[in-house]
Amino acid sequence: MLDLRQEPALHDAVTALTQRLYHEARLLDEERFEDWLELLCEDVSYHMALKSRRFRADRSAPIAVGAGNVFNDNFARLKLRIDRLRSGFVWAEDPPNFVRRVVSNVEVLPADKPDEALVHSVVVIHRNRIDGQTRLLTAGRTDRWRKGGESWFLAAREIALDHAVLPDSNVNVFF
Amino acid sequence: MDVAGLIDTSTGRQSRAIYSDEAVYRQELERVFGRCWLFLAHTSQIPKPNDFFRTYMGEDDVIVVRQKDGSVKAFLNTCTHRGNRICRADRGNARSFTCNYHGWSFAPDGALAGVPLENEAYFGELDRSKFGLVPVAQVAEYKGLIFGCFDPAAPSLEDYLGDAKFYLDVWLDALPGGTSLVGETQKMVLNTNWKLPVENVCGDGYHLGWAHAGAMMAVQSMDLSGLSVGNSSANLEGGLSVAGLNGHMALTSLDGVSGYAFYPEPKPMLDYLEANRPVAIERLGKTRGEQLWGSQINITIFPNLQFLPGLNWFRVYHPKGPGQIEQWTWAMVENDMPEQVKATILDNQCLTFGLAGLFDNDDGDNLAACTEQSRGWRTAQMDVYTNMALGRSGPREGFPGDIAAGLVSEHNQRYFYRRWQEHMQASSWSEVPTYNLNPLASREAVDA
Ligand code: FES
Ligand SMILES: [Fe+2]
Repeated sequence: MLDLRQEPALHDAVTALTQRLYHEARLLDEERFEDWLELLCEDVSYHMALKSRRFRADRSAPIAVGAGNVFNDNFARLKLRIDRLRSGFVWAEDPPNFVRRVVSNVEVLPADKPDEALVHSVVVIHRNRIDGQTRLLTAGRTDRWRKGGESWFLAAREIALDHAVLPDSNVNVFF
Repeated sequence: MDVAGLIDTSTGRQSRAIYSDEAVYRQELERVFGRCWLFLAHTSQIPKPNDFFRTYMGEDDVIVVRQKDGSVKAFLNTCTHRGNRICRADRGNARSFTCNYHGWSFAPDGALAGVPLENEAYFGELDRSKFGLVPVAQVAEYKGLIFGCFDPAAPSLEDYLGDAKFYLDVWLDALPGGTSLVGETQKMVLNTNWKLPVENVCGDGYHLGWAHAGAMMAVQSMDLSGLSVGNSSANLEGGLSVAGLNGHMALTSLDGVSGYAFYPEPKPMLDYLEANRPVAIERLGKTRGEQLWGSQINITIFPNLQFLPGLNWFRVYHPKGPGQIEQWTWAMVENDMPEQVKATILDNQCLTFGLAGLFDNDDGDNLAACTEQSRGWRTAQMDVYTNMALGRSGPREGFPGDIAAGLVSEHNQRYFYRRWQEHMQASSWSEVPTYNLNPLASREAVDA
């Protein structure tokens, strides 16, 4: 039985999950999207909320209907994004942009379910675009990874984008 | 600067200099953004007293504030002392705005309310009444949309909108509950001249099947008024390109449902349309209630406001120099919609026209490259053309404006640039022509 509250299990999980995050980043850098989908649980949730700059003391009411999202995706929607990227008609990605992810600040914690782990990390996405300009996108991620057999699979990802104004003309990348 | 030679409406020609020339841009800030009514905020974004929303008019930073009496005021977001920015939050609720630099504080009505060391350092001689926040000359609301105008001599907002209201009302006034903008502002930087996204959305149905082919293929259910993937076919009967309305435009299909064809599961939206259709017909008349309400419509209010009933996004472009903009987008809903429909609309922006929208993500690089290809020594001397379907427009029974058939035509773009040129050539509002072509004869015509 996996118990991340115990030292050896946690240590093994930290190693395995850190490797998993690095591997995931490389799959995305190399546009191996189908392989990336293999890392996701079928019930995956992939989420990035919209934010605004507010005064710390601001007490105004939350927006009716909700703040809205950049991503609020399940497996099918992520697949749809990949279908588009694979269509051969996404001109912004052809020739391919130079995309490299740096993943860091990995912290592994026990989750409320015994077969899951909570993983915090930071991702910096370097995109050298067709216009020759480089954009850097930075985000914090809080993941839930689920143990299945000997491997870990992504069950949920909450992405905190660190830009009030997106410094790029598209988000044809996964975080 | 004389821009007479930069636009030729009769041939659909534009000089590329209008996308890159610094002098043209400075003149636009004065004669377009400094003169026209500009969208500031939706009334739903500042519902309560002291609610504020920060935006731009051209490159000028502006705060829009709901007053105690329910009215709305707008101010330049700059301290009258040494010019510091007053409000640094995007939105919120504040009982006062205090400057970070020396601590002057301003009431929500703009009055200078507090000055540190007023007696000790100013010897009580500062006339506070002369140092209130500087108001935007005119602020007015049209059915929930709050506009501001820097030019005290500008026509009223109602006159400025003119017969475009016929099309605006399809969204703003179809149902008694009115409309709202929902969600936080989706902001992105695009390295494009501001006119290129406006011309794209005001009339360019031509790019849909090609620029967005990848998204259209992925989302197979989508069929936008007969436009198909790869631009292999286009049905010109299903839509209208409407212009000749003081620079405002509409690009609309006529089926009364196609706006919602982009939703993966459109049934709740179609049920909503069906249930409310009789009310819409009663309020808007048969033509608009049956053919326009529920259709995919692109509405453009000159110079920089665009919104799309159906896809339900609402957008302004803030210029940041000739080669850059901030594009701000919201989701929009009718207040009479069931909560589930509203939530679906907000959520759908993730997929279509949000920061990571499958469709939005196709446009930015094209616009940026058109801008870049206007900056070279040689390219700045070259021209570009919107000459599709030249001379093929006219009146259409039941619809105001000068109208070309179909969503694929460059008719609207020509009127956009014509209006731009008219403003750029005029030294004041008195020299700007007014035209609402082919007006409806009467209210009865509206109801026909
Ligand atoms: S600049 Fe605002 S108080 Fe001095
Ligand atoms: Fe587009």
